[in-house]
Amino acid sequence: MNSQLLIVGVNHRTAPVKVRERLAYAPSEIVPALSRLKSAGLAIGEAALISTCNRVEIVGVTANPQAAAESALQFIGVDRRTDSDSFSGAAYRFTGTGAARHLFRVGASLDSMVVGEPQILGQLKLAYAQAVEAGSAGLVLHRAFHRAFSVAKRVRKATLIGRGAVSVSSVAVALAAQIFDNLTDKTIMLMGAGNVAELVARQLKRRGVEELLVTSRTFDRAVSIARELGGTAVPFDHYRPYLKIADVVIGSLAVENPVFTPEEIEPIIRERHYRPMFLIDLGVPRNFDERLNGLENVYLYDIDDLGQVALKSRSDREHEAAKAEIIVELEVEAFDRWIAGLGLVPAIKDIRLSMEQLRDYELNRHRAWLSALDPDGQAKVESLTRGLVNKVLHRVLAGLRSKDGEAGGELYTAELARRLLCGETAFDSPDDDQADDQDDPDDDIR
Amino acid sequence: MNSLCIVIALACYAGSSGCFFYGRGSGARRILLSGIGLLGAGALFDLVYLVAAGLQAGNLPVSNFAQSLTFLALLVALMGFGLIARLHARVIGIVIAPAVTIASAAAYMLERHGRIVLPETLRSGWLPVHVTLALLGYALFLLSAGVSLLYLIYESRLKAKRPLPGPGEWVPSLETLDRINYRLLGWGFAMLSLAIVTGAIWADATWGHFWSWEPQESWSLITWILYAGLLESRLTVGWRGRRAAALTIAVFTVLVGSFLGVSLIHPGHHGGNFD
Repeated sequence: MNSQLLIVGVNHRTAPVKVRERLAYAPSEIVPALSRLKSAGLAIGEAALISTCNRVEIVGVTANPQAAAESALQFIGVDRRTDSDSFSGAAYRFTGTGAARHLFRVGASLDSMVVGEPQILGQLKLAYAQAVEAGSAGLVLHRAFHRAFSVAKRVRKATLIGRGAVSVSSVAVALAAQIFDNLTDKTIMLMGAGNVAELVARQLKRRGVEELLVTSRTFDRAVSIARELGGTAVPFDHYRPYLKIADVVIGSLAVENPVFTPEEIEPIIRERHYRPMFLIDLGVPRNFDERLNGLENVYLYDIDDLGQVALKSRSDREHEAAKAEIIVELEVEAFDRWIAGLGLVPAIKDIRLSMEQLRDYELNRHRAWLSALDPDGQAKVESLTRGLVNKVLHRVLAGLRSKDGEAGGELYTAELARRLLCGETAFDSPDDDQADDQDDPDDDIR
Repeated sequence: MNSLCIVIALACYAGSSGCFFYGRGSGARRILLSGIGLLGAGALFDLVYLVAAGLQAGNLPVSNFAQSLTFLALLVALMGFGLIARLHARVIGIVIAPAVTIASAAAYMLERHGRIVLPETLRSGWLPVHVTLALLGYALFLLSAGVSLLYLIYESRLKAKRPLPGPGEWVPSLETLDRINYRLLGWGFAMLSLAIVTGAIWADATWGHFWSWEPQESWSLITWILYAGLLESRLTVGWRGRRAAALTIAVFTVLVGSFLGVSLIHPGHHGGNFD
């Protein structure tokens, strides 16, 4: 009956881009997918969907983690028209504490391909906003995501993890500098516009590249990006002739199949007099056929390759990452307590109500002589009784929350406290209507 | 005294090679600088040896194979210095140092057998010009092959998605290596052409005919044609990068083979057998 956080999915460590690209969702597909998930009638109460180049994950809330995990994976398979057997081996299933830890680590960029890269936080915020939009985020997800954002902020502030983070984009730029001697006389072609792709284009411009061509499915979008980055827009139907002059091609289109094949590029390479060509594939699914890397003087790096290169400069940051893990662990504990507290809410409400009723009852009983007091005296009695109730409640809560029993033990204690303090027959069980207005248990202390 | 210079130079070059190899993974500054320093020291001892030999003989010290090799090593080391300074690419030392080490080792082994004094018939103003041009050409071709080798190594690592850390003082870009290769080839080709022309003029002055089809001459012509083809393929078809690098190494292998073969098997007028 107790709600738990659940995360299932694949990331860059468990599944190659070949698998990830089949499961990836475009940003516009996420809200409809969440609606489908909601109406699929799985044992998942709340849900968010994170889909980036490096991960596809469902973050859900469930009372039955085992069944929910498998059905969520099956849902992804059906929804992406992919045999779920083909990825369920690569999928991870986190529940409870593990799920909170995973979510916080993702937000803090500890689970990123390039540890410390800042883009993931934005992607996580987007996933949360989409869940809110789809109406699939509830109490637990609100809390979980907000805690994840704040963990990310804390980690960034308290550690050097983000400083000099070798992001995928800077790896791409460094590789360009290994291939080309002088970037100023080179031409970049930006196809589509993902965040990372734009970042690479921007950094190359900063390194002195003058010529930037932008092409996109919609010409207006190409024009606006070109204007923003200082380039020239090229209609998508006519970009091919420009490949002849493009030295760096950045692919970030949302496509099902590669946009060009080695057979199409080979003549272009000849026409280019074998001048080197650097293809940066930031698309998931991938934009460029991987066989292109076999062409003479063509260098193709996809998102995984860039990550591998970035990995090498990672060890320096491992020390900082260790600090970040501690922060994450503390926050996971706090979140755990909060989740556990959720189960205590009904009992705490009962106890509080019972205490308040007791107070009202006693005040009523002594109404006669109390009304004889001056307003100042009445206020003092009022505050004295309220103070007493609050102090008792506080002790009870503190007792309930001290984690020294086995898991689930606090629920038993809460029930015991409820019986002791409310009396078994004092009130009708309010369980039914309380399911809906469960609230932050912290509010109940105040 | 003379052979001592060669031994010391050899030791310096060997040490330099060691430094470059040892420092290749990390690009550690101090080790690489020691490598460059040892390369310079070796060149200095080669220079001392050649000056002493030259003074003793009264002409440019190229009258035997050992001296020619030492002269070649000196030229390669000096030009290697120039490349390292110009490109800020110390990694080039990793091909230069072993090359000069091998040349010096060969010079040391052959040193005792060489004749010191050039025959009277060949004493001419053309001698230093012709030999210097030829050796300059060889040195440039050797460097171009070395640069091409580096190119192939980097290229394959980049293709295999395991690039070396860089760019920086350690690793030049592929395009730089390719361009340098092209320039070295161009200059080397020019030197070889001039060496052939001056050789012909000298032969005409000495023996009365420009060309006698002796092995060294024929092979020089063959390598000249191969290098011409290499440059041509780049200019017209645009072969560059990996293909150009591989061809550079292939042609250089022919050059080395002919140089060694001719010198050791059919010396003719070249290779120190001037009868």
